[in-house]
Amino acid sequence: MHELGVVIEVVKTVEKFAAANHLVKIDTLVLQIGELSSMIPRYIKECYPAAVDGTILQDTELKIEIIPGNAICKDCNKVFNIIKNNGKCPCCKSKNWDLLSGKEFFIKEIVAC
Amino acid sequence: MSNFKVLEIKQNVFENNNRLADSLRKDLKKDKTFLLNLMSSPGSGKTTTLTKTINSLKDEMNIGVIEADIDSSVDANTIFQTGAKVIQLHTGGMCHLDAGMTKQGLIGLGTKEIDFAILENVGNLVCPAEFDTGASKNAMILSVPEGDDKPLKYPLMFSIVDVLLINKIDVIEHFDFDLEAVKERAMKLNPNIKIIPISARTGEGIDEWVDWIRTEVKKWNS
Ligand SMILES: Nc1nc2c(ncn2[C@@H]2O[C@H](COP(=O)(O)OP(=O)(O)O)[C@@H](O)[C@H]2O)c(=O)[nH]1
Ligand SMILES: [Mg+2]
Ligand SMILES: [Zn+2]
Repeated sequence: MHELGVVIEVVKTVEKFAAANHLVKIDTLVLQIGELSSMIPRYIKECYPAAVDGTILQDTELKIEIIPGNAICKDCNKVFNIIKNNGKCPCCKSKNWDLLSGKEFFIKEIVAC
Repeated sequence: MSNFKVLEIKQNVFENNNRLADSLRKDLKKDKTFLLNLMSSPGSGKTTTLTKTINSLKDEMNIGVIEADIDSSVDANTIFQTGAKVIQLHTGGMCHLDAGMTKQGLIGLGTKEIDFAILENVGNLVCPAEFDTGASKNAMILSVPEGDDKPLKYPLMFSIVDVLLINKIDVIEHFDFDLEAVKERAMKLNPNIKIIPISARTGEGIDEWVDWIRTEVKKWNS
């Protein structure tokens, strides 16, 4: 289970942040996951309760925001979604583009006190 | 609920690990220890290839092995037979090694006397690709029976390794395995990748592989 190891990494980071900011209780964790990252949101949600059991994130709500896999065409400057357009610029059909977003795996924020 | 507030963290999940891996690489450079991270699916031939590799190089350099594969009690024993120093890591069922666990292994080996350290990573083509272990170079083994479509299924792994060993080349005629297609698919993901077809059983290609290691160890430790 590839996602489990990654969630454990998330827990470590949040624990450090919580200690540094003297937080006592966390209510919600918000992650941002790129459409092109190798992480699958559904699997993360599935393994989350087990991965956070016994940690500061136990019984917290997990929210996941998806970041689109967008690129900019080097030939005509159009910004487009790579997945929806099968890796080709919808305007000029060029495969010559630069990736703008979509590979992220971020801890965005937490709701805590 | 009224005391709860939103606190922005905005941190890349892999950032801590990446930082630790960079500092580990610096220490390895200082200690003149070349660390190779070896990854593959289970059963593709990591242990067999390591045994051949160690036997070819053990008269030229001090070699140490960190075993983290699942069958590792067996594997550690096999490696031990070669005379190389070997340390067994207990990964507790983790699907990958991170820089922190690698550091534990290196401390166990004692890098001061080791010129060439090899990490036999957990057998899996997904998770190990996400975590920088702090290695000097990364290699993977793809074996012929696994099929020539692996670069399409595990693009990240193929895009981060320096070397791709294609193992079990001795049995290629029994499989529907298109060597040229694999090379092309891997090069497309990673134009700088070095591809070496080998057979850990017959020894074919091992000389070229060992030569690559020799050159890299010299570069790193000079
Ligand atoms: N035919 C053939 N079999 C091999 C070769 N290399 C390894 N094997 C066999 O593949 C199996 C798994 O090898 P092992 O080194 O334990 O793989 P690991 O799980 O990646 O460490 C063993 O039965 C080996 O004997 C090879 O080059 N050719
Ligand atoms: Mg093995
Ligand atoms: Zn265009």
